[in-house]
Amino acid sequence: MTPILSVRDLSIDYRTSRGPVHAVRNVSFDIAKGETVAIIGESGSGKTTLAISLIRLSPRSARITKGQILYTNDRETVDIRTLPDDELRHYRWSECAMVFQAALNSFNPVINVWEQFADTGRAHGMKDTKEIHARAQELLDLVHLDPERVLKAYPHELSGGMKQRVLIALSLMLEPQLIILDEPTTALDILTQRSIIDLLGTLRKKLGFSMVFISHDLSIAAELADRMITMYAGTVVERASVTDLFYRPRHPYSVGLLRAVPRVSGAMGAVESIPGSPPDLIRLPPGCTYIPRCPLAIAACAEREPDLVPVDTPEHEARCIRWKTVAEQVGTAEVAVAEKIATA
Amino acid sequence: MAATTPADAKLVAQQFPTTPRASRARHILGYWRHPVAQAILKAFLTVFVTTSITFFLIRLMPGNPIDIKIDELTKDGLMTYQEARAQAASLFSIDLEKPILEQYISFVGNLAHGNLGYSFVSQGTPVTAIVLAVLPWTLFAVGTGLLLSFSVGVFLGLFAAYNRNKAIDHILSIGGSVISAVPSYFIALLIVIVLGVELRIIPYTQMRGAQSAGIPVGFTPQFIGDVLYHAILPVSVFFLATLGHWILGMKSATVNALEEDYVNAARARGLSDGRIMTAYVGRNAVLPLITQFAITAGYAIGGSILIEQYFVYQGVGLRLQAALLQRDYPVMQGILLMVTLAVVIANLLADLLYSRLDPRIGRAGGATGT
Amino acid sequence: MQAAIGFLRLLSKRPSGLIGFIGIVFFLVLAFIAPIFVPNQELADVNSIYQTPSLEHFLGTDNSGRDVLNQIVQGGREIISVALVTALLTTLIATTLGAVSAIVGGKVDAVLVAIADIVLTIPYLIVLIVISALARPTNFLALAIVLSLLGWAGLMRQVRAQVLTLKERDYVEAARSLDLGLFHIVFREILPNMRSYIVIHFVLAMTGAIYAQVALIVLGLVPFSGKNWALMLYFANSQGAFYFRDAFWYVFSPIFAIILLQLSLVLFVNALEDIFNPRLRSS
Repeated sequence: MTPILSVRDLSIDYRTSRGPVHAVRNVSFDIAKGETVAIIGESGSGKTTLAISLIRLSPRSARITKGQILYTNDRETVDIRTLPDDELRHYRWSECAMVFQAALNSFNPVINVWEQFADTGRAHGMKDTKEIHARAQELLDLVHLDPERVLKAYPHELSGGMKQRVLIALSLMLEPQLIILDEPTTALDILTQRSIIDLLGTLRKKLGFSMVFISHDLSIAAELADRMITMYAGTVVERASVTDLFYRPRHPYSVGLLRAVPRVSGAMGAVESIPGSPPDLIRLPPGCTYIPRCPLAIAACAEREPDLVPVDTPEHEARCIRWKTVAEQVGTAEVAVAEKIATA
Repeated sequence: MAATTPADAKLVAQQFPTTPRASRARHILGYWRHPVAQAILKAFLTVFVTTSITFFLIRLMPGNPIDIKIDELTKDGLMTYQEARAQAASLFSIDLEKPILEQYISFVGNLAHGNLGYSFVSQGTPVTAIVLAVLPWTLFAVGTGLLLSFSVGVFLGLFAAYNRNKAIDHILSIGGSVISAVPSYFIALLIVIVLGVELRIIPYTQMRGAQSAGIPVGFTPQFIGDVLYHAILPVSVFFLATLGHWILGMKSATVNALEEDYVNAARARGLSDGRIMTAYVGRNAVLPLITQFAITAGYAIGGSILIEQYFVYQGVGLRLQAALLQRDYPVMQGILLMVTLAVVIANLLADLLYSRLDPRIGRAGGATGT
Repeated sequence: MQAAIGFLRLLSKRPSGLIGFIGIVFFLVLAFIAPIFVPNQELADVNSIYQTPSLEHFLGTDNSGRDVLNQIVQGGREIISVALVTALLTTLIATTLGAVSAIVGGKVDAVLVAIADIVLTIPYLIVLIVISALARPTNFLALAIVLSLLGWAGLMRQVRAQVLTLKERDYVEAARSLDLGLFHIVFREILPNMRSYIVIHFVLAMTGAIYAQVALIVLGLVPFSGKNWALMLYFANSQGAFYFRDAFWYVFSPIFAIILLQLSLVLFVNALEDIFNPRLRSS
């Protein structure tokens, strides 16, 4: 079956006075119908740049230098990069919706929730106000909000969690096939995070959309995702099923991210952060970009940037020439860590 | 709705945060906290403060106008000091026999009845009548000029921000800076000396005044046309004098608004560019300018005293200038009071408009409290 | 010194700001240094009144045949001095009250904000005119004081808002926990962090002061004597020179000087805002 979204060899630069910042480099991945893919990495790893390029919302200073973003619905396959403006407007939201990182700030502060629903409906050809209203009520009900109150409310009158629910309801308005969620729970407290994640899980089961879930929080990403992609310095460093990534990570950076997960149980001891910081994306070194922070780096790593190669199984790939060493070093302790996270 | 999980329970609590009793108590206490009440209070205080300052200046300054008037009246020996003092007192409608504080109280009392005293120069004419005869002309010219410059400036500012760093943006931004740097009275003067006297493009002598003699007042096309003809020059000055301010202000507000997350979110929702520009970018960008509108109106009405003289436009400014030359203090004071009142009312209207346009102001209770 | 060089480098990327800066330097030199070398010419010459520009008189002559250029050179000092003093006083009042208001808080804050709100709503120019007519400020300092008493409110509110946000920052917390006192917190910790704001408002206060004082002088409300661009216009007006074609250069020169001075300040301040506000910074 053709994937509904296929990103192929995508590279994005930001123009700055110091020269181009290579924010996304040669990224490829597919998303099948109904599948959820989590993209994880630290801030600055390029995951948000990647996410917003999927609906062509990149800021003006960003430029896609190569690659394709192929989107397939039941009729045709299109490249989002070259889509004409009117078709792009249709694609946005009715095919692919986005729940933003700053959901708290995703609503126009001067119009009420109902008008934001109405605007969205009208922009996509829903002319009957009653129909939009009924749809909005249905959706707010679905996200466990009181439609009558919430529709009349202005954004500042809603709590962070409520706003995020409203945005999720709004994202479902036109029954998109794909929803991109960029750190949807970051600004929320733990209790609310939990309920949003549960809600997304339920909705996905009910409605069958695909999701791209961007997060730096592995434990949250793991709950929803089928597959995970680890990004570092603008490129994919590991790609695996959730189980593989948690129990058999093959890139030192994934291992580092796993160790950096804060655990509620706390029994495993202190959280380790990854020492050092991401490389300068303007002047990239010729070899592997992770060398300065990598405990396993050897001279050969600096020769050229490693390719993304299959490890263990064909579905599991890592960009590391020392993945076998990683496999040896990741002992039973790591498995225990993973189990703690998975059950947290 | 049933609270099935702890998070849902929290949600319910968020949706119903206050008990009815608590919200009623807040209502009663809240009257003075209500933005409209606060705006009215502030307006009242402003008028009060400016009038009080002028009252005490008139009474307490050495060489104050009342003493000058008494000197003037007794100089030629026709009046005794007592008579002169009584006349001066009645012209100012202050009882000079009382202690200053009581004078002040009765002055405020008279004020409340609309009694601003009588003109020194045109004896027996109440100041109120004089001011009311000239105020509408100024309000008309300033109001028209400002509304025009606000709409044009907001449009151009939005346009410049949408065409950021293109030639048109540079032209508008630099042009806006240049005209905002020219004092309003110089715009008026330059119109007269360059376009009128030097180049003779504008028949500025014909356009003098607020209306032509011999045209009956009424809702006739002839009268309205004549009024508009005479208003062209002052209106253009108020228009030009404030235009740059709106262009630059709107441009920077729009540039800021364009970076807001909700604008990007609206694009993601597939909204048309037109809808985003008006309801999302424009509407949010224009909000801070509305509060500035009233302040600018204050400046412009104040500026009218410096502008009307060049066009002999019979408004507040020209009348005030005459009063200054004639040392007609009651008229000066009356004009000051009325202009303050007009500006304060403009402020009040802007505040009200603002609270209607920005739901974050004045609806603190909102969906949860009401 | 290094800061100054860095600043000039930033400024040089904004042509209009650089022009403004050069303009300001030019006017400072014209007003304060040029008069030392150019003697004051009081000599009237009835045979050459209202002359148009010539080699002898670059900007023509006035109603009694005096050189206009000479008056322009002599006439900037007073205007710029009043503007500087007013800006200084305004900034001083506004930053002090704003910082006190934000730091002390409570009733003091409420009262100061209420006063600022009222001062802000007062129709500045007309109050200024009436007050000047009543109080007759006869020297620069009095005029500057009146101007700054009416002009501090806007900056005060901004300083207050800024201090309120800066107050929460760690270093101020640290200073407070060390019990360094209000004075220290305001002048050592907070104000240095607000330099950009204060500089911008200083320049804006100068433009406001120039606008107001020129208006008052042209109206004849401030009975100054001596040489001053605004005073040139007052005399021109009282002689009816505005409507006399040959007097164009005599009338136009001081207007042009004042506009150029204002324009320099405005261009400079726009560039400052651009430099200090990265959101507006052109790429």
